[in-house]
Amino acid sequence: MRPAPLYIVASPRPRTGKTLIARLMIEFFRADGRPLVGYDLNPREQALAIRFPKLVWPVDIVNTRGQMELFDRLIADTASTKIIDLGYGAFDQFFAITAEIGFLQEARRRLIEPIVLFVTDPAPATVRSYAELRGRSAATFVPVHNESVSLMFAKQDFPGTRAECGAIRIPRLSPIVRGVIDRPSFSFGAYMTEQPGGPTEVHQWVGEIFTEFRELELRLLMGRLTSSLAGSAAVRRNA
Amino acid sequence: MAKPTVIVVGADKGGVGKTTVSRTLLDYFTAHHIPTRAFDTESPKGTLKRFHPDNSDIVDVTSVADQMRIFDTLSNADSSVTILDVRAGLLSPTLRALRDIGFLDSVKKGQLTFVVFHILGSSIASLNEIEDTSTFVGDSKYFLVKNFINNTSFFEWDQATHSSYFKKFKDAVEITIPKLNEMAYEQVELASVPFLTFVANKGLKGEAANYSFVLRGYVRHWLGNVWAEYDRIKLNDIVATGGAAPANSPRVQVVSRS
Repeated sequence: MRPAPLYIVASPRPRTGKTLIARLMIEFFRADGRPLVGYDLNPREQALAIRFPKLVWPVDIVNTRGQMELFDRLIADTASTKIIDLGYGAFDQFFAITAEIGFLQEARRRLIEPIVLFVTDPAPATVRSYAELRGRSAATFVPVHNESVSLMFAKQDFPGTRAECGAIRIPRLSPIVRGVIDRPSFSFGAYMTEQPGGPTEVHQWVGEIFTEFRELELRLLMGRLTSSLAGSAAVRRNA
Repeated sequence: MAKPTVIVVGADKGGVGKTTVSRTLLDYFTAHHIPTRAFDTESPKGTLKRFHPDNSDIVDVTSVADQMRIFDTLSNADSSVTILDVRAGLLSPTLRALRDIGFLDSVKKGQLTFVVFHILGSSIASLNEIEDTSTFVGDSKYFLVKNFINNTSFFEWDQATHSSYFKKFKDAVEITIPKLNEMAYEQVELASVPFLTFVANKGLKGEAANYSFVLRGYVRHWLGNVWAEYDRIKLNDIVATGGAAPANSPRVQVVSRS
């Protein structure tokens, strides 16, 4: 059985493009026709839930009821691809709760693969936060370099959990085009379908990012296959 | 074979979490495969028995018949540990009764192991209770339990007052029971099962249940912290060997958590 991925788009700082990345992922997987569910953990500004009202649940994990709404659903659903837009306000609490209730271990036991897409920036606090979380968390960490947030990406500061996963690059977009994609009615998927191969900046930008997502999926799959083969070889050796 | 152990869990004040502590002790011994029985003195309706019906009984600890039922069976019971969950207001009278029936003399002679978990409330009255109780617990392992499960803040205890009392009772060891998420606590109450059973997502008869994963996670984490306290005081050793300390070392020591 193929593990169901749980993508957690996270950053300890505001305005790093988390919601845009979560939105791109939703459109990428939706275009692929996969069962999909999203969670918007930005209690003050639920932009993702507003954009995808039938796909994305707004959740506030400050109270226990909200935590149950999120984590109980995540654990129960072993079939869908899941995407969490983790607002910076809920960042610390989210990881504290997952550690306390043993969420990541239970998710893996149920063949749910948690992958943290950590949006990087050069602030020392972000680097520390990444190192600390990656060190103690059972999730796979994949750094995301959003060129609109920082021009430079210090690879050594953000090593991925698995070398084969690499990093995801979100290219910088011109302010004019940014204005276009921020329109409430704009859909990346529809745009790509309606103007296939169109030589616009949006087309190129979306194409590059979707390719990054596709490659990430392939790299995760390769990683699983490699570890599965290694496990089988070990069993044969011990037999 | 280990000496019979009697653990008294009590306080003179109500609502401080005596039964909760008794439940964690029963779970702890269950996890360590130590046969344990319990007596619930909330006669006649009982509280502990609701959570542990198979190994607890409701008794009236003030009646001679029930005292015989508890203490005359210590040596021939299947369980090596007996937990007595003493209802509010009965701790001092129970200890007095134990002295009167010669139980405390047997403890002094090393025939029995006696452990007292004295659950403290937030008020200064709790500190006075310690003074009353301590006259009976000379040869027991005496633990003062600060129970934060009910969000107790121990607001009336300034450090100077606290120290002045605790200096008088050098043999007392402090235990801290941390706070449990309110909703998790409430759900275990509603389920009426042991904490361990709730964590395992089972009903009282072992059937599969459907408790929240989040709440089970909170209970598991909390119970782990409570048991870490019991491990710290070497409760397992106490019930296995009577916790005999080397001749030249202090029998018990005051331990403070930072």
